[in-house]
Amino acid sequence: MTVDSQGAVSAAPQDAPGSEAGTPKTPPPPSGSKHVLQPPRGRRSLPHGTLPYLLIGPAVLSMAVLLLYPLVRNVILSFQQVNRKELITRKPEWIGVENYTELLGDSAFWTVVVRSVVFTAANVVLIMVIGTLIGLLLNRLGTKMRLLLSLSLMLAWAMPIVASVTVFRWLFDEQFGVVNWLMRSLGLEGYEQHNWFETGFSTLVIVMILLVWGSIPFVALNMYAALTTVGTELYEAAKMDGASGWRTFWSVVFPNLKPFFLITTFLEIIWIFKAFAQVYAMNLGGPDRESETLPVFAYIEGQGQAHYGLAAAISVLTIVMLIAAMSFYFRLILKQEEEQ
Amino acid sequence: MSTTTTPTPQVLRRRRPLRPGTVAKNAAALVLAVLFAFPVYWMFSSSLKPQSEILTKDPVFLFTPTFENYPTATGVDLFWTYVGNSLTVTIGAVLLALVVALAASFAIARMKFRGRKGLVLGVMMAQMAPWEVMVIVMYMIARDGDMLNSIPLLTAIYFVMVLPFTIWTLRGFIAAVPVELEEAAQIDGCTRGQAFRKVIFPLLAPGLMSTSLFGFITAWNEFAMVLILNKDKTAQTLPLWLTQFQTAFGNDWGATMAASSLFALPVLIVFLFLQRRAVGGMTAGAVKG
Amino acid sequence: MKRKLIAAIGVAGMMVGIAACGSDDGKGGSTDAGGNKTLTVWVMDGSAPDAWIKNVNKEFEAKHKGVKVKVEIQQWNGIQEKVTTALSEDTPPDVLELGNTQTAGYAATGGLADLTEDKAKLGADGWNKGMLASNELDGKLYSAPWYAANRVVVYDKAAFKKAGVTPPKTRAEWIAGLKKLKASDPKSQPIYLPGQSWYVYAGFVWDEGGDLAVKDGDKWKGNLSSPEAVAAMNFYKELQSYSTAPKDKDEATPQQSTDIVPKGGVASWIGLGWEAGGAIDAMKKVKKTADFGYFPIPGKTADKPGSVFFGGSNLAVSERSPNKDLAKEWLALAAGKEHMAKYAEATQGALLPNNDAAQFKPAAGSFAEAMAQAASVGKITPVTPGWANVETAPNPIKDYMTKVLKGEDAKKAGEAADKVITERVNQQ
Repeated sequence: MTVDSQGAVSAAPQDAPGSEAGTPKTPPPPSGSKHVLQPPRGRRSLPHGTLPYLLIGPAVLSMAVLLLYPLVRNVILSFQQVNRKELITRKPEWIGVENYTELLGDSAFWTVVVRSVVFTAANVVLIMVIGTLIGLLLNRLGTKMRLLLSLSLMLAWAMPIVASVTVFRWLFDEQFGVVNWLMRSLGLEGYEQHNWFETGFSTLVIVMILLVWGSIPFVALNMYAALTTVGTELYEAAKMDGASGWRTFWSVVFPNLKPFFLITTFLEIIWIFKAFAQVYAMNLGGPDRESETLPVFAYIEGQGQAHYGLAAAISVLTIVMLIAAMSFYFRLILKQEEEQ
Repeated sequence: MSTTTTPTPQVLRRRRPLRPGTVAKNAAALVLAVLFAFPVYWMFSSSLKPQSEILTKDPVFLFTPTFENYPTATGVDLFWTYVGNSLTVTIGAVLLALVVALAASFAIARMKFRGRKGLVLGVMMAQMAPWEVMVIVMYMIARDGDMLNSIPLLTAIYFVMVLPFTIWTLRGFIAAVPVELEEAAQIDGCTRGQAFRKVIFPLLAPGLMSTSLFGFITAWNEFAMVLILNKDKTAQTLPLWLTQFQTAFGNDWGATMAASSLFALPVLIVFLFLQRRAVGGMTAGAVKG
Repeated sequence: MKRKLIAAIGVAGMMVGIAACGSDDGKGGSTDAGGNKTLTVWVMDGSAPDAWIKNVNKEFEAKHKGVKVKVEIQQWNGIQEKVTTALSEDTPPDVLELGNTQTAGYAATGGLADLTEDKAKLGADGWNKGMLASNELDGKLYSAPWYAANRVVVYDKAAFKKAGVTPPKTRAEWIAGLKKLKASDPKSQPIYLPGQSWYVYAGFVWDEGGDLAVKDGDKWKGNLSSPEAVAAMNFYKELQSYSTAPKDKDEATPQQSTDIVPKGGVASWIGLGWEAGGAIDAMKKVKKTADFGYFPIPGKTADKPGSVFFGGSNLAVSERSPNKDLAKEWLALAAGKEHMAKYAEATQGALLPNNDAAQFKPAAGSFAEAMAQAASVGKITPVTPGWANVETAPNPIKDYMTKVLKGEDAKKAGEAADKVITERVNQQ
């Protein structure tokens, strides 16, 4: 923890609050003993240990009512047959695990699962790598160029999804695409009417460009801001020691920003895995259903065919898979929690 | 985490040449700036084109701008109702999330209580909620509870959508404020509440801003929920307006892009307004994990 | 999904002034404190000419004191789920427009009121038999036909004249004409035909005597691998080879009428009345004059034109409507002969009214005239509740067409598509 004493006051780990009674700086455990420190004004009447529950009460309550309860209902729904008829007559039919057996026995479902996992992994790797690089670049640019680049990143971030999907579809359009025009202008053959959505793979590559384009600003701008908290002294020190840029990154930047990478990767995995509008709107999961990811599959087989119970089952399986995949993350983050 | 102290000594590394590097960096930045801004530019420039020049074999870069698409976009029936509803649900959800999350994250970051770990885990998992699929369940709940076409319900749903992220980020941010500051204030005779208000809160500004930005974008863009829950046009929001220029009778791309440009504007304004602090805030929160 | 190809307003100018008479007086359907009732009517964007529906409502409100009609224009985006959920509500729209290929699907859910008893009041005797079929399920009537339309070939008179081609009467003449067009102007497309115009393909299947799906006992099964359907697909492929349109898109992406035709270089295309109108309008905007001629899609022989898909809409009353009787009254008025005649007039004959007697006499050489010629051979997709599932994206018929156009064997690809169709069509 030698590094922490330099610069970056606000982000230095040992400020960690409410932490265990290990470090001398740490205040005594909150609620109880704090009251002793406190002048005898107000708040005294609070029963011991109630305060935290009062504080988390509204959050817990609202999440229980508007998230947990619907989720439970969603699980219930996944054991029912609710198609158009059942929805309209309001008479769901219990069918046990039929929705699940249907899915788990469907090879198309597994194809989509594998595709989604690979697709998410490819996206997240690209987003994190390029995002980090751009963040590093931002940190090294002069004021003017930095402003220009961050403004451009912000524009990309602020663009509504409806519009960005439409524009990307145009850019890669077979007849009127800017990309085909660019290729032609560069003198390349075969782009008179090149179809960029010819296969599921090529479609997913274009969706990936869209997703990476849309997600990088979040990573890059945060990366840049995180870098500013690392403190220049560290770089200088590393440079003095003759470390290469690569070395500096691994030995100075990365360890300091590990929590940042942890959280950002976690969020990106979730966001990309759940991305629906971008994938669906690009080519409706086509051609021939080859660019469907799990959310698109859920939409097409569920809502599209008015099989709401089935859609619920897909979503439950999705959550289970996500939790399984992320359990590693949960453990890491909880461990960090304990360290505080 | 003590690895940081080993900055590879001996092996003589060449010093990075400075000048050419700067040029390369600026060039890279310029290329990236163009790449990232291009789709946005294309949206905006299309909104100023007559219909016949939007989709062309060879893209039109130079054209006489027309503003006819904007009146078409805003001239829609009930446009201002949508604006009002969108602002209400978005701002309502964000503010509510900030207040509720502030309390919760303070408790998580600063206090010890039973169930804290579970709560942290819950908040983490809540970010995985499959909202798109839950539309139908939400709909059934709202229908059976006679709460369709309700702006307050929509606000509440958006509030819960952004709440987990808000708690998470703010919690990291509160954790980053040195406890000593708070203690000092309390020793100076502040109550805990006062210490929070006077010491911590001001330091949280960046965190509050970054989370509001995130919440704003999420709630502002939401489409699936409002489509099914609020069928009454007077209770609908701007994302529905955005798609109505693509109809069975042809797509008015100019109006769609004009609407999209207008729709992006508030986000951009909030962005620029919060920019400096927002971005820092997100990180400070994230860095604390 | 957004275009369920209900045909719509023929006259492009009308697209501007679509009924905007919805007043915002709160919830539909229920009775307010003063005993006044509101009748909510859902019509799709572009279906009801403004002046026409206002007129209907004025008459209706005059007849039923204290009742106000609220018309709500619906967008295509996400409409299926919207209608499905709406029908499950306590205060659903009282009257709603449904695409004719979708009606059976909703009828089977119990969400639509049974109108069998009201046949006489609705004037069912005069209804066009071809249009009636989609409104019935298992012998019961669930909606009233409203309007229908079908596609014709739209051609550029100048290009045809230059190539010395006259409107063909048979498929052979059609292809010969396209060859001539190609020779006369190699840079242009003799016909613009994207790969997934599946309603056009359906017409060819019917011409061969086949169908997209057939009954098999009490189930349905996909029928694209039948010899008739294969022959139809091969003809489609031949026709499509004269076009450079994308093989994996339908006629709306990009919109052929407004995004393709106005740019020039298209000698002919297959479209609906509103598409022709839209193209004329778009060309006017760029200071071009459209000089379009129209002819029915040629048949195999000269004695009758090619079969066409009868796109259209029906009007239904929702089962949960608290004002069912009023809703039926409104339906009888709006879909009755008198107002349908006005409807046909308002759309200049570009939409066929539900009653032949209400037909508008189309002008010579107009789109409507060509359309009326083909209307006698208009058909619809299989009338079964599961059909709506087949049409829902990703439509297996469209994927099938793309595959064949890209070189797959029509029969083999048809078998794969049949599997999907069979699965979907038998689901409820």
